[in-house]
Amino acid sequence: MSNTNGNTKLRFLPTGSSLHKLSALLTLLLLILAFSFTSPAFLSVNNGLTVLLQTSVIGLLAIGMTLVIITGGIDLSVGSVLALSGVVAGLAIKAGVPVMPAMAFGILAGAFCGFINGLVITKLRITPFVATLGMMMIARGVALQLTGAAPISRLGEAFGQLGNGSFFRIVEMQANGFPKVIFPGIPYPAVLLVVMALIGGFLLQRRQIGRHIFSVGSNEEAARLSGVKVDRTKIWAYTASGALAGLAGMVLMSRLVTVQPNEGVMYELDAIAASVIGGASLMGGVGSISGSMIGAFIIGVLRNGLNMAGTSAFIQQIIIGIVVIGAVYIDQIRNRN
Amino acid sequence: MLDANAQETPLVQMSEIYKHFGGVHAVEGVSVDLYPGEVVGVLGHNGAGKSCLMQILSGAMIPNGGEIYVNGQEADLKSPHDAKKHGIETIYQTLALANHLDAAQNLFLGRELKTRFGNLDEARMHAEAQDALRQLNPNFKNLKDPVAKLSGGQRQVIAIARAIYFQAKVLIMDEPTAALGPSETAMVADLTLRLKDEGIGIFLISHDMHDVFDLCDRVMVMNKGRNVGTFRIEDVNKDDILSLIIKGTLPDGWVPRGESK
Repeated sequence: MSNTNGNTKLRFLPTGSSLHKLSALLTLLLLILAFSFTSPAFLSVNNGLTVLLQTSVIGLLAIGMTLVIITGGIDLSVGSVLALSGVVAGLAIKAGVPVMPAMAFGILAGAFCGFINGLVITKLRITPFVATLGMMMIARGVALQLTGAAPISRLGEAFGQLGNGSFFRIVEMQANGFPKVIFPGIPYPAVLLVVMALIGGFLLQRRQIGRHIFSVGSNEEAARLSGVKVDRTKIWAYTASGALAGLAGMVLMSRLVTVQPNEGVMYELDAIAASVIGGASLMGGVGSISGSMIGAFIIGVLRNGLNMAGTSAFIQQIIIGIVVIGAVYIDQIRNRN
Repeated sequence: MLDANAQETPLVQMSEIYKHFGGVHAVEGVSVDLYPGEVVGVLGHNGAGKSCLMQILSGAMIPNGGEIYVNGQEADLKSPHDAKKHGIETIYQTLALANHLDAAQNLFLGRELKTRFGNLDEARMHAEAQDALRQLNPNFKNLKDPVAKLSGGQRQVIAIARAIYFQAKVLIMDEPTAALGPSETAMVADLTLRLKDEGIGIFLISHDMHDVFDLCDRVMVMNKGRNVGTFRIEDVNKDDILSLIIKGTLPDGWVPRGESK
């Protein structure tokens, strides 16, 4: 087969999808252009890296969300699962577990929540909306109960590495004894996002599990009659979404070097918006990781640019709401053709 | 009344199959068998239980009672996957195609070809699908379009190709010509006879009496979930079959037509 450029990835989708993705990319570029006029500091290396850092959490959630949405489902629990994973990791560190295994515990806790989502949806036959809404409340409740709603701090410097460290950071000692940052480096979370997005795209486009995820979302009955193990495929997707929520939790809590049990409220909506803006259809069967990444960056840039322009958080919500509705509207027009 | 080749082991033997949904008895103690190189028509009203019986054989539905033997061995068909492992392939009336996937992706759905590293072997699947589809319809194009964009005939060809590509021993055809034009219907009839010559056993669900009399060796009629008769096609005429379908009994004073000649 030919190399892995954008075109071969698009091959999977109806031709309208590549159009959608292209228009999303164009929107992103227009946003960047517009914001660089409204605020001179917007188009700088430093701010670019800040956007990368801010988007990485939404981006990680959006990868899992995209897998779930392609199966025709939805995962409303990722924001809460993110918090619970952080709490599990924080408590593990407090109990004396080293940072790396503690973070692994946190991610496992997220995967477990996703696995339960999958079981409830496939075995109890509860719709994804209700099942994951339940998990959203359960995971949040457990996180708050375990911590007594208090943040866990003093987790040590090593815990902050993942969220605050970066590759190729160049710092120079000045004559006056103060360090000067020449290049702030590429933040670990951004690298992590790229790696996870590549893995996600690979699984979705090149592996059997990805093919089955598309088939389940496209026509569940046909998939079943063709011998696809529908339940297993769905459980896989929800577990992946939970694990990625756990990973996003590690990144976010590490950045704050504090575990906040009430972090991540409404993050699921940003993740859903990113997927939908990137061309995923809530009816299932359509979507791509690359599209969702563009969607995540549209939201990230929008947030960052509006902040830099001094727009209030309330206005930001209104604007992002309008963007989501607009994206779904464009998607519907596409489907009608 | 029953077939002449009873000394052979049947390819499929379904024995005393029961299926009920709550209080509704869809299939009640139905037994039927199928021999290599034979086409058995499965007839009946809508809701007579014929699709239900065939779905049990294709693993899509689990019976409440009864046994299924494939080549004389009891087979436990818990899923379509199990049935396919026994060489039982089905062309569903709904075609069972995933609309967002293309022809090759549908043809190999659930049985994807892989490279050495376990990745999907798109090139090989595409080439194989092209061969398989062109055999059935030399004009088959748009292999890379999602099947939602294809015509009814093309979609049917994909569904048929999927059933025969994997060397089926038993083929269940559920109204294979319902959505087709005359030339495509003729193609399916030719194909049915060709597969029969290759020794494949075929269950044909059809409402089309022409198809039934042209293609079938035997017919089995269902009425209200019961098997009301299995006959060699020479022994019955159209009126006999209609009587069985509608009333569940043969016309008064019936004698096997084949013997009276």
